[in-house]
Amino acid sequence: MKKLLCIILAVCMITLLTACGSKPKEKTAEFKPALDKNRECSITVAGSYDNFEALEAEFDRFNKTYPNVQLSYVKLDNYENILGTVLEGKDAPNIFFSYNWMIGNETYASVSGHMEDLSDAALGLDLDCIRPGLINHDADGRVLIAPVFSRTYGMLVNDDLFKTEGLSVPTTWTELLAVCEAFRIKGYASPMMGYSRKSSSCFMNTVAYPLFLTALAENPEALALANGLDPAAGEYMRPALEAVLRLIQNGCIDLSACDQIGDNYEKVILRFFEGDVPMMICTGDTVSGTKKRESKSEAFSKAPFNYSFAPIPMTDDGGYFIDSPSVEFSVNKDCDNLDMTNEFMRFLITKTELNEMASVKRLVTPTTDLSIDAVYAPFAQVPSDHVIFPEVLGIKDPLTVQIRVAAFRVGTGEITVDEAVAMYGSFK
Amino acid sequence: MKKTWVIIVNVLIMIVLLTFVVFYSNYENRNTAQRQIEHFENTTITMEHVTENYLEGEQRICDVWARYINSKEMTIEDAVSFIRISHVLPNASAHIVYLDSLSGLSTRAGQEASDYTVSYKRVDLLEDVSWISGIGESINISRAYTNPVNGEQSIAFCNFITLHDPENGTPSSAVLLRVLPISELEQKWVFPQEEFEKAELSMIDANGNYIIKGHSFKNSSFFEFYRSYNATDPASAQALFEKTTSSTGSFTMLNSRGEKCILAYTPFAATQGWTLLSFMPMNDLKADTENWLLISFVSAGLLILFVFDLSVMLHFNKKLQASAREAASANKAKTDFLSTMSHDIRTPMNAIIGLTTIAEKNLGDTEAVGENLRKITLASNHLLTLINDILDISKVESGKLNLSPQTFSIVETVENLLNLSQPMIKEKNIEFNFRTSRMEKEYIYADQLRLNQIYINILSNAIKYTEPGGRVSVDMREEESQKPGCVQLTYRVSDSGIGMSPEFMATMYRPFSRQVDSRVNSIQGTGLGLAITKQMVDLMGGTIDCQSEQGKGTVFTVILDLPIADRQRDDMMLEPMDVLVVDDDEILLETAIDTLESLGVTADHARSGLEALGMIMHRNKTGRDYSVVILDWKMPDIDGVETIRRIRTEVNSNIPILLISAYDWSDIEEAAKKAGANGFVSKPLFRSKLYDKINELLGTEVKSVEPENDYSDLQGMNILIAEDNDINWEIISTMLGMFGITTERAENGRICVEKMKQAAKGSYALIFMDIQMPEMNGLDATRKIRALDDPWASSIPIIAMTADAFSENVTECLNTGMNGHIAKPIDMKLVIKEIRRIKEEKRS
Repeated sequence: MKKLLCIILAVCMITLLTACGSKPKEKTAEFKPALDKNRECSITVAGSYDNFEALEAEFDRFNKTYPNVQLSYVKLDNYENILGTVLEGKDAPNIFFSYNWMIGNETYASVSGHMEDLSDAALGLDLDCIRPGLINHDADGRVLIAPVFSRTYGMLVNDDLFKTEGLSVPTTWTELLAVCEAFRIKGYASPMMGYSRKSSSCFMNTVAYPLFLTALAENPEALALANGLDPAAGEYMRPALEAVLRLIQNGCIDLSACDQIGDNYEKVILRFFEGDVPMMICTGDTVSGTKKRESKSEAFSKAPFNYSFAPIPMTDDGGYFIDSPSVEFSVNKDCDNLDMTNEFMRFLITKTELNEMASVKRLVTPTTDLSIDAVYAPFAQVPSDHVIFPEVLGIKDPLTVQIRVAAFRVGTGEITVDEAVAMYGSFK
Repeated sequence: MKKTWVIIVNVLIMIVLLTFVVFYSNYENRNTAQRQIEHFENTTITMEHVTENYLEGEQRICDVWARYINSKEMTIEDAVSFIRISHVLPNASAHIVYLDSLSGLSTRAGQEASDYTVSYKRVDLLEDVSWISGIGESINISRAYTNPVNGEQSIAFCNFITLHDPENGTPSSAVLLRVLPISELEQKWVFPQEEFEKAELSMIDANGNYIIKGHSFKNSSFFEFYRSYNATDPASAQALFEKTTSSTGSFTMLNSRGEKCILAYTPFAATQGWTLLSFMPMNDLKADTENWLLISFVSAGLLILFVFDLSVMLHFNKKLQASAREAASANKAKTDFLSTMSHDIRTPMNAIIGLTTIAEKNLGDTEAVGENLRKITLASNHLLTLINDILDISKVESGKLNLSPQTFSIVETVENLLNLSQPMIKEKNIEFNFRTSRMEKEYIYADQLRLNQIYINILSNAIKYTEPGGRVSVDMREEESQKPGCVQLTYRVSDSGIGMSPEFMATMYRPFSRQVDSRVNSIQGTGLGLAITKQMVDLMGGTIDCQSEQGKGTVFTVILDLPIADRQRDDMMLEPMDVLVVDDDEILLETAIDTLESLGVTADHARSGLEALGMIMHRNKTGRDYSVVILDWKMPDIDGVETIRRIRTEVNSNIPILLISAYDWSDIEEAAKKAGANGFVSKPLFRSKLYDKINELLGTEVKSVEPENDYSDLQGMNILIAEDNDINWEIISTMLGMFGITTERAENGRICVEKMKQAAKGSYALIFMDIQMPEMNGLDATRKIRALDDPWASSIPIIAMTADAFSENVTECLNTGMNGHIAKPIDMKLVIKEIRRIKEEKRS
């Protein structure tokens, strides 16, 4: 017994002494480096975001393997217009934000010309970890752009408020109307809210766009007309516009209350955090700002609640998950340190890192694993036939302008649904 | 204290020490870190001055251009041309932008070589120009932005200028931007000190937005950066930001990697609301490296100390356990010994008591009583030996065995040895030889008692363990000693006894050890003799060696370096003469001849009686008779007595003949004298003995040798005996009375002194003084007597007669002024010897 005690004490001493000078080992990622880990170089990522903490966190994680690689994110002013110039200049970035609409667009021919084919097997990127509908192949079958976040449309739901009021989160259009009525009766003037001051990111578009895409998805001919901005496609907007109007007219949304919200991002979030809004209509981009603003909101800090982001149940079959890329990266194939740049991309384009980044940024992950963030859990429940990939469908950017402006103007009462239908193709 | 507690206390002490070292180290670290931080802050302030000078310099260039353009009423083309001429920096450029259209011209072309147009419409820089002051009023530096001409991240120094329409001269407001690439600036804008090479700089405006941003600074705003990676509440954060943008100082914060960093801040004096930030990880301050080394070193040292102490403690514990085992073993041995002693003591006691009872009942039967008394004496002597051995070993074990050296004759010692051993030798009919070689130094200064004990123990063991008819030989040799003033005495006793097993030999010097042997068990012994002998030999600085083989015999060799006494016999030289030595023992012959020649005589030798007879006859015929013939009694063909008889009858010579015998010659005395022997000499043949005997034989010097049973010299002596015990008094007075000595008793020391005071001169020949007595002990009484005025009384011989038998008691007695010591129970032979010695000393 005494010997055992001696041994235990000695082991404790040694453990204590050795613990003085050691640091806990950090868990290393499964990423296996292919280059010299002591390599010294710098990599720049250029984009339009003011802040990109999620990416900077990835820089730090990459530095655990390559400590001497200096990675930095640079925000470019007038991004879309200056990108071509920057790529040709001395400060050309290694990686840059890119958009699918740049592909095939003559204005961005020089930009496209710098894009590396990420599907090249030699690069070893795990593109299979990304949902196939988010990956765009050009005419030659190349993948010039890799999505790192996904964007979708829906509503922030104050789950605790529903529980408090004894109501269930609606999953069909009928339930939605009933829940709104119930909230209204309980004194909630605007059970649903959203940004309504400008057409950009207005709640009307968030409501209408998924319905419009649903209509187009069911009718390929109509899609062609819509992409061609043919007024004949205007009729396919009608159900979407009527739904917007009905929400307002039924008292689900108090437009005057929505007009109090100053912008389509921070103010929307802070309004939702006031805790008296059962449902706040917004895009995933807005949801990305919620985590950081929890501490900024005095109301939320005082009375925090559980919330989630769910599809708006615009049909009796439920809501739709419009799954489109939000932020996409291209590699400048003419940059310095291209091998290390591709090494970083190989590190980044994995389920682990993309999920990690989406978790930090609180955006929808582009990977096949949607359950990573509880806030987006409702979207993981959406059946596959209710998932629409605009990129796969072939939605062109001008089309999105038409439905956005039309929905905004109908929602604000500026024009009627009939007028909007007739004006398709003419909205700016 | 239990071992566990010792370990716990040790560990606690180590923890306390380590905690102290850690705390002290941390304290020192904090001080060092604080100094480093202060240094970092000061360097930041220096950097602010340097940066401000640089920015002011750049701004002044812009100011000069603006003043010149304004003074010359230039068109935009004129202004651009002027600046192109003035511009010297290769990577810098200038933009002139109309405030109304936010477009204008650049001094450098864009992607297309001929295109000098520039537009700031989408740059979000010049929509609000309230940050631009008048010329020379302040540094009008823009935030970092993307140069719309070449896409480089740049900053611009700005001034308002007025341009004129080339056609109508209408003035228009415009902004002149002196544009510098950030990359250019980054190369120059670094900390000068090497220790801060990893520090990074940023410049922020009053809202925390970066004007120039270092690599480690994240987000577009420093405030946002701080909030993103550091837990804080809005109020605290706001207070911190206000402090950061309005004062100089530093604080720690976490960077994007979760590392603790130091951020130093200082406001720009010349630019309202701007702040310079310096940022670096705390680890790079290198404040604690040495202290960790110290802690590690101390920890390792304490650990080694702990392990060492633990090992030593375990080692000592093992030794203690071994000692405890030995002590237990010794205790067991003692218990066994006591058990044996009880038996050994009870056995002679039983004999004494039993025989005394028998004697009492047979008082009328003189022969039976005599036999009983003889046996009682034997049992008493054995008991006395036992008690002496126990006392000796007790002293040996307590370390109190001291030596009491005195001058004595080694010849006497050997004689004593022989006297003591003769009875047993005789009884067991053992063939006994005692040879000496060159014993030149007769007087030795050593502890005679202990030396006797050593020699007797070894010899008595040899005799004891040799079966009847066996052989015991003693060789004593004197050699030169390495020690100055000493001789080396080698005492070798060999026997043909039962021998010893190797197992027993390994432990034979331990007290209470006796060989387990059926033959040995029948022999009386204490198991202490060898232990005592070994201790005494060690105490005398000698060696004892033993060679033994079971069934064949044992050889003990004791070698001692003994100091030579100052007193030696004068030069012993005989007159020149011829002496014949006859013995069948070659060694004796050799040593005897050697000894005789050293006495100055010519010695011949013969190995048998017949040969001696022949040689004597031959000498006789030639008229050269031997002066003395010394012959051995026991010889193979004809023994010594027969040889003497034949010499006397066949040669008809009166040659003095000495008969040598190793034994008591009383048995053959009569026959030898009748045969014509003139004298006897016992082995060993010491030089002095031969000298004395030959002189005595030739009548050169007559030694008065008292007949053994002649006590006439003691008749009429009166001795005072100080003895408190009635029985003891009765014994000593009766026994002395048997020798014709009268006695008077003093019951204690005081009475003894009184008697001496009152006694007439010569009343007493000497005093036998007991030591432990009531009223006044023997020592005090001796001191009083020695202090008496009467010279006779004060010098009267006093012999201690006491049961205090230890050597220190003897020494104490002699130191007190006594002349001798006799231990109780008394041996009358010793008493008589002591009386004669005193008498002899008085006569001389």
